Amino acid sequence: MKASTREGEFLQTFAKLADTLVVGYDVVDLLQMLVDSCHDLLGATAAGILLADDMGELEVVASTSESSRLVEMMQLGAEAGPCIDSYYTGQTVIVENIEQSPPEWQRFRDSALEQGFDSVYALPLRLRETTIGTLNLFQTAPGQMGADDLTAAKAFADVATIGILHERSLRESDVVQAQLQNALNSRIVIEQAKGVIAQSHAVSMDEAFNRIRAFARSNQRGIAEVSAEIVGRRLSI
Amino acid sequence: MTSGSFPAAMNALNSESDDASALSHPFLDLFPVSGAAVSTLGEFLGSETLSASDAQAARIDEIQFDLGEGPCWDAMATARPVLTPDLRAHPSTSWPAFSRAILDDDLGAIFAFPLVIGPLRIGAVDLYSREPTELTETQSRQAAEMAGAVSRRVLRRAIMRMGGDGNNDDKSNSAFSRRVIHQATGMVLSQLDVAIDDARLVIEGHAFASNRSMMDVATDIVEGTLNFSVQNDGIEASQ
Repeated sequence: MKASTREGEFLQTFAKLADTLVVGYDVVDLLQMLVDSCHDLLGATAAGILLADDMGELEVVASTSESSRLVEMMQLGAEAGPCIDSYYTGQTVIVENIEQSPPEWQRFRDSALEQGFDSVYALPLRLRETTIGTLNLFQTAPGQMGADDLTAAKAFADVATIGILHERSLRESDVVQAQLQNALNSRIVIEQAKGVIAQSHAVSMDEAFNRIRAFARSNQRGIAEVSAEIVGRRLSI
Repeated sequence: MTSGSFPAAMNALNSESDDASALSHPFLDLFPVSGAAVSTLGEFLGSETLSASDAQAARIDEIQFDLGEGPCWDAMATARPVLTPDLRAHPSTSWPAFSRAILDDDLGAIFAFPLVIGPLRIGAVDLYSREPTELTETQSRQAAEMAGAVSRRVLRRAIMRMGGDGNNDDKSNSAFSRRVIHQATGMVLSQLDVAIDDARLVIEGHAFASNRSMMDVATDIVEGTLNFSVQNDGIEASQ
């Protein structure tokens, strides 16, 4: 019974994703939904998506929490850690026990352990030869995720990739980069809008993001679009 | 000589040129005045005349540097224009030493518009006329807006000259730092109710003035230890 409910949840998630892709969408919203699904359905304690900018540097564009420690840890993993390895190799990197990770990952490892994470899965966002970023799943207990969960995570990663690169435009690499840059630029305006809301409502960055997101949802608009209006001082929420 | 248009003046002031020597010209083209000067004042960027349309305009600013008083200083301190349309009939009592010093120059009018960006006090634009003359409300508003454009130009130029755009230090240029800087920029926008570009310039300017990295300043803002909306004496940011 439990299993069938879970399957149902998966179906619903993919239906929602497919819907988003068909109707026209905001990339950041799509990625946010994916990381949240990784948390809700796959039992990841935390999840995040990093995209490479035009210099090949990985940047967090969506994460299950806006906590600066979590974001910073993922950025450290993008300097020396599973995120960058997955990006360079185009392969899934599974670290069952972060404590035993290689010494050159020390800054990432310390940050992850400090926050109670034991294991991490880094999946490439890849379409044929092009890897554009990674999806990272963090667990507080080793080996919680089964083979099925990993399969589902790969499917999520694929959907994210397709969502970012409209497949047809892959032939033109500058268009791909433009779309990536667009997603990264959305993140700039979202961070700025978080600052505006955090200041004007005296709330944390995490709570500021939740409010922007809730407003976008209830008005059926994109997070980036709403953020741009907040930053342009055309909208106060 | 009032031949120019306001949009043309704004265009000229918003150009990317690094040459500051022409900054006073658009004011002369647009308003019924004899001369104009643009100067930085005070500790932030030092006292220096960047552009003067004639020797008289340069002299008016020079005297104010020396005396430490005058319409420029008042405009900058209060962040509001100082308008003295008839110096002979209604001389200002706020700057006695300056008034005495310009007595022989026999000036008719002096107008000073502040160069400020949020909490950053940069300097002032001085306009003088040989005969008493009024600025209409529209002219006064236009001059204030032009002074705003001059402020951004002057501050960007100063930051550039001191080595880059203020965030090219390694510390401020990681993905994580950029994120914090963007958050801080949004907070400053809300603190000062200014446009996002000005908010960023305030952070850059503050980093520049305090000789710190943008990341350090941004971190203080996000953590709430630095707040530009709470100003102790109208000049400094609270820390």
